[in-house]
Amino acid sequence: MKYANKLFRTRKKDLYSGNSDRLFFLAMRENCIFQYDRCPDYKRLLDAKGFDPRRDLNSFDDLAGIPFLPTLYFKRHDLRANRRSLVQATSSGTSGGNKSRVGFSVSDLWRMWQMVKRVCSYHRLWSLKPTHYVVFGFEPNRSNKTAIARTSFGATLFSPALSRTYALRWRNGAYRLDLEAVKQKLIRYSKSKFPVRTIGFPAYTYFLLKEMKDAGIALQMPKGSLVTLGGGWKQFYAEKVSKEDFYRLVYEVLGIDDRHIVEFFGAVEHPILYTDCRCHHFHIPAYGRVIIRDPDTLQPVGNDRMGLINLLTPAVSVMPLLSVTTDDLGMVHTEPCPCGEPSPWLEIFGRVGIRDVVTCAQGASEFLKGAGDVK
Amino acid sequence: MIFYRGTCYENKEQSRLLGTLRNDCFRTLNQSPPLSRETVIRACDFLYRKVCDHAFDDIVLPLLRVVDLSYERFLEMGKLFSREGLEAKCRMELGENAEDRRLPSGTLCRRVPLGILFHIAAGNVDALPAYSVVEGLLAGNVNILKLPTGDSGVSVRLLSELVKAEPALAEYIYVFDVPSTETEMLKTFADIADAVVVWGGDAAVQAARTLCDVKTEIIAWGHKLSFAYAAADATDADLTALAEHVCATNQVLCSSCQGIFVDTDDMETVSAFAKRFYHILSDVNRRVGFADVGMRGKNSIRIYNDLLENPNQTVYYGNGVSVRVGEDSRLELSYLFRDVWVKPLKRTEIVPALKEHKAHLQTCGLLCGKDDRPILAERLLRAGVTRVTGGDLSRMFVGEAHDGFYPLARYSRIAEIDP
Repeated sequence: MKYANKLFRTRKKDLYSGNSDRLFFLAMRENCIFQYDRCPDYKRLLDAKGFDPRRDLNSFDDLAGIPFLPTLYFKRHDLRANRRSLVQATSSGTSGGNKSRVGFSVSDLWRMWQMVKRVCSYHRLWSLKPTHYVVFGFEPNRSNKTAIARTSFGATLFSPALSRTYALRWRNGAYRLDLEAVKQKLIRYSKSKFPVRTIGFPAYTYFLLKEMKDAGIALQMPKGSLVTLGGGWKQFYAEKVSKEDFYRLVYEVLGIDDRHIVEFFGAVEHPILYTDCRCHHFHIPAYGRVIIRDPDTLQPVGNDRMGLINLLTPAVSVMPLLSVTTDDLGMVHTEPCPCGEPSPWLEIFGRVGIRDVVTCAQGASEFLKGAGDVK
Repeated sequence: MIFYRGTCYENKEQSRLLGTLRNDCFRTLNQSPPLSRETVIRACDFLYRKVCDHAFDDIVLPLLRVVDLSYERFLEMGKLFSREGLEAKCRMELGENAEDRRLPSGTLCRRVPLGILFHIAAGNVDALPAYSVVEGLLAGNVNILKLPTGDSGVSVRLLSELVKAEPALAEYIYVFDVPSTETEMLKTFADIADAVVVWGGDAAVQAARTLCDVKTEIIAWGHKLSFAYAAADATDADLTALAEHVCATNQVLCSSCQGIFVDTDDMETVSAFAKRFYHILSDVNRRVGFADVGMRGKNSIRIYNDLLENPNQTVYYGNGVSVRVGEDSRLELSYLFRDVWVKPLKRTEIVPALKEHKAHLQTCGLLCGKDDRPILAERLLRAGVTRVTGGDLSRMFVGEAHDGFYPLARYSRIAEIDP
């Protein structure tokens, strides 16, 4: 993983410069050959498609030809090379049979740490100031291996934590949504001299803030407070709440302006940290590439057109996660972004109306809805 | 939002209103004159006319956009709420017991309401909760409605208009906005009610059962699956009608066709049939316009994944539609949005193959020659199917049964009073 290691040592200032194509290609080729040689299932899939990485990968443009694996495939097949000595994570599918099983080796994690260190430093997310954390997500629990539970805990380590409050609390063997407690804590922290960071699904953040607004609450969080979001906006599209309306709501209730709202994007099957810029665009970092594919033919459609999102990265060695496709729709924008970073940015559209594909956000929305409403 | 005896209240009034609900419901049964069907019909007809005059376009138009329904089709369906529609419904569903009847012995037979109904409505069709209450009213019941979470407010709006038109209805309608997780509160509703009417999948029905003690009846309108059964030589005209139905409903209704069973056990015949249907579906799809791009993308990925897992599977796909050949004879959900499976099922195997799905069967589009029709229809009915149609499985008519039952008959009972 010589080239991958080099790629993940990309300097902070080059994260979004968009000039790492050659190194990215070499790392991908290295990874593809590595997986092909050591994962018999992967070799079988590539052979069935008539793809030989040594023969067919000669330039950056050939990366689109690597047969991609849908995230659905990882939900049904375990492609981990070694199932015991790995750090494991699962996606947050709410029914047991629908989780992707993904593992990372120590060297994979080291690469990811290099990434997190640089990305968060770039976006100024590290801080030495003690902070109150409010997590609109799952309280850590030994039985919960979902990546979102782990990363949201991890995100409380960006600065020294004075306190951690969870919206989904583990009580009597089940998670229960406790918005009232969160509300009370936020009111108290607004009078504190230490900043507050909220972490979690946009859905919870939104519903909680809306409830607070309806109750006539308008707070001013201490200077340096941040709202961080992750887990997807999907249900917002269904509710026709625009990001602009959301930012306005945050400002009205918490007194935090949109420059202090940071959104992350990533997936268990594509463990790359996308962080939005000050214009709220997900610039594609040096560690990953995105190919947009035609929803009918699955052929690449190029940039600035909508299609299915195919995510590429050479980050992981223990399983073939180098080219994965979700059933999200998106677009890669190449028009210049006012933030000044040259790399293109990814816009993710909702999967409007799909009920049977459970995503993080939809799983969360089950807690809001309760059971028994879906016909 | 709470709607209680004709007045809207904020949710914070909930516990106070819950405290008076039982007495208020019982007071109506105890003291008020019986609710006449005529009052309900008059209110609905009044509302129907206002809708026709575009008085509710502000809620109707967005609704239609969501369900992708034309205004004409909507008005057609709206006729079910007109005086003619409702009178026909009552005649059909209540039959000779619609009115009081005196037996030769002098005993009076009367159709009386169950009393109090608690409706747990599904959230997938916006006006459905209100519709469920209207049926309860037509049978003369007091109705408590639990709104589905995320309700758009359409139901309360419609019901309050009904009360405005006929104030006598006020004491027969109670709407609460209680989350499904508040089981104690739901148990209170169920305890007050004579019967619980639940719309939804198996999980919702199962959840409703836990709310009720043995004295409370459960009336479940559950998830259903529909399919087509075709002779190998079904006509192109029949298959075109089926393809049009698949595209028009996007297969999301209980009555939508998920797949086609072919009367054969020869896989080559099944494959040839699937190929023929693919071409017809593809042509129809081009004519009517493609489904939503997100759904197409989801299906493309699923089929790509299927072929990764099993490269030998036969799938005809492209142009926004897919037809998948299956070797088993299991009834299952398709991928929806213009994806259809085709499987073998010899006519002699219909009952054993379908019985497994006994509670879930609804409509079968039967595509075969005239001579075979009676015998195949009979066999499908014996397997548990409740409707046998042609290619348009979702056709509607006034007074049709819900999944094999007449709701008005289920929401009422026959009483006999000796002179």
